Formats: sequence, structure tokens, C-alpha cells
Amino acid sequence: MSKSGNKFVEWITSIPNEHKGFGKQIMLLSKNELIKTYKGAVIGPLWAVVKPAFTVFVYWFAFSVGIKKLRDVGVNLGGPEAFSIDFFTFMFVGIIPWFFIQDSIVQGSKTLRTNRQFITKVKFPVSTILTYTGLSRLYVHLFLAIIMYGYVVFHRVAGGLPPVSVYDLQFFLYCPLMFMFFLALSWSTAPMAAFSKDFESLIVSVMSGIFWLSGIMYDSYSFKGFLKYAMLINPINFFANGYRNCFLYNRWFFEYKTEFVIFMVEFIVVFILGIYNYNRLRKKLPDVL
Amino acid sequence: MSDTIIRFKNVSKTYILYKNDQARFKALFIKPRNPKTNRALNNVSFEIARGESVGIVGDNGAGKSTLLKMITGVAFPDEGEIFVDGKVAALLELTAGFSMEMTGRENIYLKGYILGLEDDYIKEIEEQIIEFAELGDYIDQPVRTYSSGMKMRLGFAINVNIEPDVLVIDEALAVGDASFKRKCKDKIKEIIEAGTTVLYVSHTASSVKEICPRSIYLRKGAVIYDGNTEDTLKVYNDYKESVKNKKKK
Repeated sequence: MSKSGNKFVEWITSIPNEHKGFGKQIMLLSKNELIKTYKGAVIGPLWAVVKPAFTVFVYWFAFSVGIKKLRDVGVNLGGPEAFSIDFFTFMFVGIIPWFFIQDSIVQGSKTLRTNRQFITKVKFPVSTILTYTGLSRLYVHLFLAIIMYGYVVFHRVAGGLPPVSVYDLQFFLYCPLMFMFFLALSWSTAPMAAFSKDFESLIVSVMSGIFWLSGIMYDSYSFKGFLKYAMLINPINFFANGYRNCFLYNRWFFEYKTEFVIFMVEFIVVFILGIYNYNRLRKKLPDVL
Repeated sequence: MSDTIIRFKNVSKTYILYKNDQARFKALFIKPRNPKTNRALNNVSFEIARGESVGIVGDNGAGKSTLLKMITGVAFPDEGEIFVDGKVAALLELTAGFSMEMTGRENIYLKGYILGLEDDYIKEIEEQIIEFAELGDYIDQPVRTYSSGMKMRLGFAINVNIEPDVLVIDEALAVGDASFKRKCKDKIKEIIEAGTTVLYVSHTASSVKEICPRSIYLRKGAVIYDGNTEDTLKVYNDYKESVKNKKKK
């Protein structure tokens, strides 16, 4: 009994243990990863802004100028009164977390393959690879989030509202939660993608589909009946709507309990699956990479 | 018992050879039935005491690399237990584990962190490493700009200057020009004389004799002989002879 108990403790603590004492190394490598991504380009780190800015422009152009019907988005949060938000603001606040999510899923699953020298050549706490590459994406996200916040403040002042709101503070809940959720997801996907290139391709090919199935360009609350609940299962909606809770809806995360509970259950499942898959495949990684 | 630094207890390792990528993808979800396997190590047991120098001999594919990978903590056994006590420096693939975009200096820290060293200690040996590697001002340039010789020199310098408890050396190692090679040999000798445990891998007999009083002979993943180097090499050579003779017939 005690032996299997020990084994369970070892199993559940394997990832935290790999991080113990490697804080400095993780910070150093995450900084390096960030430099690596943008080095050699003339405008360097500005690419971190240019690419998403262009994407935002294209969507805005297509939907606000091209398809003229979609100028405003009506949002009904369950209360008696529905209100409308201009499409650009609605989309902008939702797409900022999406950029992070997209990168986390795609790059996150490729990470172990691209950093294979740390797995096959030297003894290395493998799970920290996922942490430091995730952190480097988080830096970019924080930078974009600051730009977005600047826009939100401007938008509020222009609309005669106070520039800041207490709901903004929820960012410090949603953002870390998003980081942790997709980190835990990569504990599963990264070893599996390292094992099989097909799995990696599978993830890449479903990504653009996932974008359109998530409430980035439209309001995921606007459905009725079965679809309304189906949309709650998609964790990406939780974050897109979460950011809108902070900056647009003036709503607390606990106000829509069903959404929050469904997400937390998913989070726990993803977390446990992540630990399971990581432990299952960790020791085989040096043999297959 | 307390001065054992490396212990292998009934260690076995099997590589699964997947037929194709499909089979590999399937293996993610279902355990493959009767897959083709390659048993790289078969029930290997031995102990090495602190300060001992041990040679490992055997033909290609005998399991030498797998064994070393396990000692350095890169690969893991399927069965059995491995115990390694202390810092392991490996003079195997010297350029491995470098981050190409980071400077040489940053890579010293990186390697240090991987080995579990503290900032203060790395700072102490930093200059020593730079001096040994003869890199000069290049130390603050990204490693990607280094020539392959410079990279190897840096890798070697880091590994020998961290005061390892176990030093793993591959004989096939080639480091830079003749004068640097001599410097490396001297340094290795110095480390051995300081009482560091050394594992020395080789295909050829003479160099093993020079360094190691004890040797382990591996064939097809199993320990065939473990003992005095003279005796081990005799067994090894006898086997080689017998194979040769068989071929002649």
C-alpha cells in the first residue's frame, strides 16, 4: 500500500519537482526564447505587434466594411436589457486572448520537437521546456494586452465613461488561468506530438476551424437551446468572454456560474490528463526524438 | 557500501521499432501487440566505487551508448534500478545542449543550472572556463557565430571545470587542433589524478589500458566480463579472433 502510495505521490509531483530550483534557468531561457523569435528581423520585436495588428485589421475590414450587416454586436447577458457594442471593440478584446491561445496550442505542441537537444543530449527537466516557451509567449501577450487596455481606456473616455473600472482587475485572474490551462494542455499534446508527427499535423490543421467555432468574431452567448450549452464546453469561449467580462461587460467571473463551473471541471480534467500523459511518455521521449 | 558512486541493478532496456509512422501514431493510444524490439541492455548489473576508473569496451551496438546515456540521465531503463551519486560531466557530444542564440557566457550559466550549480559557484569558475576555452572576446557573442572548434572547446571547458564527481569520456572525441588536444589530455589526466570517477569508452585496447585498471566488456547488451583490464581485453580479443576465424571458414 505504502509503495503504491509513494508511487502516486511521485507521479503527481513529477512536474513541480522538475521545476524546483530551476526558476532562474526558466527565466533566462524564456528571455532567450523571446529574443530568438524576433532576432535577425529589421524591426525585431515590432513583429509581435505588426502581425496581430494586421490580422485585426483584416477581420475588421471583412466584417465591418465588407459584410456591412455586422456593425454592432448585441449582447444579452441574461438580464432584461440587452446592449450593443461596436464590432471592432467586441472583436478586439476577444481576439487578444485568442492570439495567445492559438500560439500556445500550435507552438506548444511543437516545442519538444524543436528543443530536442535538451531531451536527447543532456539531462534536463523536460517539463520546464514547456514552461519557458509558454512564458515567452506570455510576455508577448502581456504587451498586446497593454495596447488593448490603452484602446479600452480610450474607448471608455470617448463614450463618456470613467477610464478604469474595478472589473478590470479580473485580468489578473483570467490571464494566469489561461496560461496555466494551456500549459497543462501542452503536457499532453507536446509529448504526443513529439512521438508522432501526424498528431502535430492534426493539431495544426484543426486550428483555423477552432477559431471559427469559438466566440471570437461573434457572441457565443447568443445561441439558444442546445447550442448555448455546447458553446460553454469550449474553453476558448471562457477566456474570450472572460476578457470581455473585464473590459466590456462589467461582470464578475462568478456571475455566470454554469460557465465558470464547466470551465473549472475541464481545467481539472486537462490538468490530470496532462500529468498522466507526461508521465506516461516522458521516459520514452529520448528514444523517439 | 557508502562509497559506491554508480550502481546498476538488473538494468534492461528495450527499444521498440515501429514499422512506420502509422504504427507509431497508433502506439500513442493503444499498446502495440508483438512489436519488433531491440534489446539494447539485458540485465546489466555492476557497481563502481568513488574514484575508480573503469573502461567500457565492446563493438558497435553492444549497448555502450545506451549505458552512458543512462549514467548521464538522458535515457531511462525499462527495468531495474540505476543509482548515480553526484555531478556527471560527459565528454560525449560537447556541443549538445547549447542554446545557439545565447552568448557563450550565458551558455556557461545554462549548463551550470542544468547541473544544479548555484550562481555564486558558476561565477567563480566562469573565468577559468573562458580562459581554458581560449575564446577571448567571443565569449559575449552568440554561440551560433562560433566555429565548430570553438563550440567544442567551450563544451569541453565547461565540462572539465565544474569539478564533476563522474567524468564520462568517449575516446572518439576530437577537440580542436593538436595543441588544444594536448591541453585536454593533460586536463583529463589531472582530473583522474584528483580522484574523480572516470568512465572511459573505447573500441581500442591500448588507450583503455593506459587509463583504467578495471574494464567492463559488453556484447549485445549483456556484461560478458567485468574485471581487471588485462583479462577483459583478453576475453574481448579472443572473441574477436573467434569471429574472424569463423568468417574465414
